[in-house]
Amino acid sequence: MSFFASIRWQDIIDILLNSYILFRLYVLFKETYVFRVLTGLALLWIFQRIAVFFGLILTSWVLQGITAVAALIIIIVFRNEIRSVLQAKNLKAILWGFPQKIVPTTIQIIVDSVNALSKRHTGALIVLPAKEDLKDMVHSGIPLRGLVSKEMLTSIFWGDNPVHDGAAIIEGDRIAEVGVILPLSYRSDLPSHYGTRHRAAFGLAETTDALIVIVSEETGKVLVAKDSNIEEIHGDTDLIKILQEHMGVYEEENGYQQKENFKISIAAIVSVFFITGMWFSFSKGLDSLITLEIPAEYTKRDPRFEIVNASVHTVRLDLAGSGALIKSIQPDQVQVKLDLGNAVVGQNIFSITQENIALPPGIFLRKVVPSVIEVTLDETIKREIPVQIDWVGELPKGLVLSEIFFDPEKIEVIGGKRILENLSTIYTEKVHLESMKTSGTMFANLALTPAALKIAPGSKDKIRIAYVIKPRIE
Amino acid sequence: MVRRYRFYIFLFVLLCANLFFVHRTFSQNHQNSVADTVQNSPILDHAVMCEEVTDKDPINPAVVFSIKIGKVSCFSVFDPVPEKTFVYHKWFHKDNPSTNKRLTVQPPRWATYSSIQLRETDKGPWRVEISDRKGNLLHILRFSITD
Repeated sequence: MSFFASIRWQDIIDILLNSYILFRLYVLFKETYVFRVLTGLALLWIFQRIAVFFGLILTSWVLQGITAVAALIIIIVFRNEIRSVLQAKNLKAILWGFPQKIVPTTIQIIVDSVNALSKRHTGALIVLPAKEDLKDMVHSGIPLRGLVSKEMLTSIFWGDNPVHDGAAIIEGDRIAEVGVILPLSYRSDLPSHYGTRHRAAFGLAETTDALIVIVSEETGKVLVAKDSNIEEIHGDTDLIKILQEHMGVYEEENGYQQKENFKISIAAIVSVFFITGMWFSFSKGLDSLITLEIPAEYTKRDPRFEIVNASVHTVRLDLAGSGALIKSIQPDQVQVKLDLGNAVVGQNIFSITQENIALPPGIFLRKVVPSVIEVTLDETIKREIPVQIDWVGELPKGLVLSEIFFDPEKIEVIGGKRILENLSTIYTEKVHLESMKTSGTMFANLALTPAALKIAPGSKDKIRIAYVIKPRIE
Repeated sequence: MVRRYRFYIFLFVLLCANLFFVHRTFSQNHQNSVADTVQNSPILDHAVMCEEVTDKDPINPAVVFSIKIGKVSCFSVFDPVPEKTFVYHKWFHKDNPSTNKRLTVQPPRWATYSSIQLRETDKGPWRVEISDRKGNLLHILRFSITD
């Protein structure tokens, strides 16, 4: 229960967002080579993780190398496919749309072909078997097994084609046989203008459950023969309807759509499960620990006050998280901030809690040392303090530094009241005596201690020293 | 009306007069006291840091002293000294009190000095604050002990 309680709303958004991205990748790239290669890469990665789990050093190393290189290759090799998916579609299509597969159906191709043949008065005989086997009824067919296309059908019945007089049998989306000889009908009640092609169509229709489409060479009329009937077709819609009824395509199309919807639903569920698994493996699994020393930052300090002392300057944080997240922590992602908004002059004690610590997502705080910081604040004041030169080294032998005059003799300093009230001298940086052989002048910088002190605006920060060197009286 | 309150007016005037005289007397005493302080304090004529004092004269007055000389002195001359009193030489090393020497001065003019023995740890900036018996700061001398 506590495990689920530790999941934040950000985590749920994180999982859903990435699941949707994965799902969209599937939708956009499905049935392309890119998707297949991506699937292969995902499998490689899974194998690599398994190899790591079982401690197969060489296998995991090799798989890791292949995965890394393959990711690069996929971008280079499939750049055109990726570009076409991302560029050809608008933003809505990329984010929301489901690309519809616009592939002309076999029926549409047959109808288009029949129209073309009819316009050119090219005689044609197209057989569409139903459930019954036609093998015993037809003969002399030449196996073709080619996909149905308008070009293929029109060329089969082209006048100079050796097989143009026979029928073409279409099974599914393929032209199974061409140049097929059909049994002739011996009915006497057929109209006199029906030729051999019509009789052949009747002959097969009478004896089987097949549907035969006839294009008259003389008139260009399109007729459909089934069972003992022959019907003239006056438009594409009629022909499509008859063909659909014969082939039972309504059910098939609905079935196809249902199948597609099922596939999409499965893909969506798999995406959520996959990303959830990845998220848990990244953020919850394989707890790793790290200890970081983070400097304490102070916020909302009253500008009249300044920090003169703090019990510690850095805080030690023991952090936990998955190995991958722990490794990727950058020092600037972890911050310890103390709010000085309610602090007063003097000593203030702050407890360091979770609220004071900013951590990257997926990283959890185990321990803080110290858990309390004492911060001493002081009121900022301005005070004039005498300057003293801090001489070091040794004068050349036989000389005495008898007098000095320096400017300014006092310096105005800004700092904490407590510090400045106890500060009686501001020293310069170390001034070396070794090179001082004759009287002269020099400049020295001030060494402000503690560092919290500042020279007031308008005060000089360099001291001009005029010095007098005299011979030493022995 | 005036007659009725005559007694109270008289009392009020008497009280004011009393307050005036008390205040005047106190002011005079205070002024005399300040005057006494100024008058009785010795006046510092000059003061220097030096290597040693010989025959009431400072030898090699300077602002930097080598630790090798082993000793450093603060020489001060008071002129005039109205009455026998004493002064203080407070020695500070890096702003920390090191020693506080009480020196007697006598009329009409007096030269006095205080010294410290130097050790290796005494290197760094020093100052000597010269003050009178009441702690009034008369002068500050700043110097350094070096190699």
